[in-house]
Amino acid sequence: MNTKWLRGTILISLLLVPALLCAAGTKEHAEDATGDDVITLSVYHFLDQTDKTTAPNFQYLVDVFEKANPDIKLTFEYGYGEAFHDKLQTLAMSGQLPDIILLYPGERTSQVTNAGLVQDLRPYLAGHEDEFADMAMQGQGQNGEIWELPEDISITSIMFTNNRLLKELGLTLPKTYEELLAQGPTIRAAGLIPISIANKDAWPMQSCVAGMLVERACGVPWFDKALAGEARFDDPEFIYAMEIIKELSDKQMFSPGTNQLSYGQGLDDFVQEKAVYFIDGSWTVNNMVGELTAEQKTYMSLESFPDIPRQIGNSLSTSATAGQGFGMNAKLTDRESQAAWKWIWFYSGPEGSAIRQRFGRLPAYNLDEPKDADPMIKKLIAYAAKVPMGYVMDSVLAAEPIGTFNINLQNMMFGTKTPKQVGQELEAMVTAIGR
Amino acid sequence: MTFSQQKRMSYYLFLAPGLLLFASIIIFPVFYSLSLSFTSFGGYGRPVFIGLENYARIIRDEVFLHSLRNNLLIVAISVFGQIPLGFLLAYLLYRRMVRHGSLYQTMIFLPITISPVVVALLWNQIFSSSGIVVAIVRKLSGQPQYVMKIFENKQWAIFPILCVLLWMHTGTYMVIFYANLQKMVPSLLEAAQIDGASESQMLGHIIFPHMVGTIATAAIFAISGSLKAFDLIYSMTGGGPAHFTEVIAIYMYINTFKYYKYGFGSAASMIIVLLAVGLILILQYITGKLEQRFE
Repeated sequence: MNTKWLRGTILISLLLVPALLCAAGTKEHAEDATGDDVITLSVYHFLDQTDKTTAPNFQYLVDVFEKANPDIKLTFEYGYGEAFHDKLQTLAMSGQLPDIILLYPGERTSQVTNAGLVQDLRPYLAGHEDEFADMAMQGQGQNGEIWELPEDISITSIMFTNNRLLKELGLTLPKTYEELLAQGPTIRAAGLIPISIANKDAWPMQSCVAGMLVERACGVPWFDKALAGEARFDDPEFIYAMEIIKELSDKQMFSPGTNQLSYGQGLDDFVQEKAVYFIDGSWTVNNMVGELTAEQKTYMSLESFPDIPRQIGNSLSTSATAGQGFGMNAKLTDRESQAAWKWIWFYSGPEGSAIRQRFGRLPAYNLDEPKDADPMIKKLIAYAAKVPMGYVMDSVLAAEPIGTFNINLQNMMFGTKTPKQVGQELEAMVTAIGR
Repeated sequence: MTFSQQKRMSYYLFLAPGLLLFASIIIFPVFYSLSLSFTSFGGYGRPVFIGLENYARIIRDEVFLHSLRNNLLIVAISVFGQIPLGFLLAYLLYRRMVRHGSLYQTMIFLPITISPVVVALLWNQIFSSSGIVVAIVRKLSGQPQYVMKIFENKQWAIFPILCVLLWMHTGTYMVIFYANLQKMVPSLLEAAQIDGASESQMLGHIIFPHMVGTIATAAIFAISGSLKAFDLIYSMTGGGPAHFTEVIAIYMYINTFKYYKYGFGSAASMIIVLLAVGLILILQYITGKLEQRFE
C-alpha cells in the first residue's frame, strides 16, 4: 500500500513539473481597472539609481509613458557600469533576455546584437528616418540593421571652460595648442588644475581626448582608411596624436593623479571651480544643469580643444557618435512587439526626446531649440550645431583592442610605453581580430 | 531485494540529493569550464576547438605574468603575514599578556565583518588622489599637485593593497587560533611552568606542535582565498592603473566579460585551480613532515 502511494506521488509530481515550469515561464497578462487586457513587458536599463539627476528624470519619462499607455505595464530592472554588461551577457547566454533592452550602437553589446537576439527596428521606423540626425540612422548591423533607436548624439569631447577663472588669471581662451600649454604654469601657480579629467577607469582619455586628437591629427578620411585596412594605427599621424596626450601629461596639464581619480571627480573639481578647463562628453551637461548655480552658468562655456600644429582634420572639431537606445527581444509576439515599439518610439521619438532635451540631453531626434531651456542646454545645442565631428574610437573598434588601447594610454602617461608602442599594439590587435 | 541491498540502496538515496547538488554546482561547472578552455568560444555560435592555444597565449602574456606575481605576493602576505600575526595576537590574548583582551579581540576582528566593497571605499577615501591624506599633504606642503606616486608604480602599486589585506584578514586567523588555543588542556602548560619551562619553550614544544594542524588548515584557506582574490582589489583599483594591481581573477573577468573571450577566460580560471591545488599539495607535504617531527 505504502509503495503504491509512494509511486503514485512520484508519478504525479513528475507530471506536474512541466506544467509548473511552463507556468513559471508564461508571460504575465492582466486586466486593468477598465477590464482591458494589460500587457506587461520587462525592461533592462542602464541607470545608476543613486544618481540624483538621471534617476528621477528617467522615472518622470516612465510615468508620462504609463499614463498615456495604461494598457502597457513596464517592469524595470537596472544595471550600471560593468555590472550592467555582465548581467546582460548572462541573460543573453541563458536565453532569458528581457523584452526591451538598452543596447549600444558599436561593439559594446555586440554579443546580443550579433547573435540575432534582438529585432531589426527598420520596419517599425520606416518613414521616420529623416526625423533623426544622420549619425543616428547609420546601420548598426552587417546588413544595415538598426538594433536600437539612438536616444542621443554623444559628443564625447567638449572643453568646458570657466571664463571667470580665466579672467581672474589674466588669460584668454587659447586659440592654439601652444597657447594652452603656455597657460599651464600660470594656472598651476594659482593652485588650480589646468584640465580636469579623471581617468581611473581608463576610457575617458580615449573617448574624450584621443578620439578628438586623432580627428585633428589624422582627419576623418584617414580614419575611414584605417577602418578599411588601408591605413595603419602606427602611421606617423596617429602616433603624433598620441604624442600630444603624452606631452599634456608630462607638462602636468591634466588633473594631478588623473589615473587614480574615479570618473565623476573631474566634474566635481570643475563645479567646485578648482579647474579652469574640464574635458568630458555632452552627457555631463545633464549633471551640470543641476549642479552649477545660476551664476556659474553665466560664465561657464562649451568650447573645443584648440587647434594643434600640423593639423590635418577640421579646425575646432570634436568626436561624436550616436548614443545608446532601446531595442527589443527577437522572441516577442506581434502584439508584444507593437507594445515594445510604443515605448521605444516614445523614448527616442519626438515626445521623450523633447522631455530629455529639457533635462539637458542632446537627442538624436531633430528638435527645435526650446525657448525655456536651461542656459547650459542652450549652450550645448549651439555648440553641437557649429562643430565638425569625427569618430569616437570605442564606437568603431572592437572591445579588446579598445580595452588594451585605453590601458596603454595610461601606460604611456606613466612612461612604461611610448606613443609609438601604443600605436603599434593597437594596429597589431586590430589586425589580429579583424577590422 | 535483500536487506543489505536495501541498506545500500538507502545510502545512495540519502546521498543522491547532496551529490546531485554538488555535481550541478561544482563538478559540472569545473568540467564545463575545462572543456571551454580548449575552445575559442566568444559567447555565441559554436565553440571551436583550438587545443592548448589559450594556455600558450596566457603564459606568454605579460599582463598575466604580472597578475600572477601579484597573486603570489598576496599568497605570501597571507601565509607569512596574516597567519603569523594572527597567531601572535591569539597567543598574546590566550596567555593574557594584554589587558582588556576582549576589547582587542573585537577590534582586530572588526574589519572582517565589513563588506570588502565598503573597505575598498574607505581606503580609497583615505589614499586616493582626491582622498584625505593627499589633501592634508597638499595643504601642509603647499604642493597642490602632490599625488601618492606609489599607486603609479608598476612594481609597488600592489603594496598598499597588501597592507589592506593584512589589516582585513588577520582577525579571522586570530579567532581561529584563539579558539583552538582554548581547547588546550590548561594543566599541560601549568605542569610545564612548574617544571621551569620558559615562555619560548612552552611555545616551541607544547603550543606550536598542538597547533600545526590548525596552522596548516589556516594556510589552505589563505592560499585558496589569495588566489581567488577579487572583490576588494576590483573595488579599490579595478586592477589598474594600467594593470599594475591586476590579479588572475580580474584578468579572467576582463577577458571573459569585457572582451567576450569565454574560452580564454576559462583557461585562466583553470590556471587558478591548478595553482591552488599545486600550492595546497606542497603545503600538505610540509605539514605532514612537521607533524611527523612533532609526533
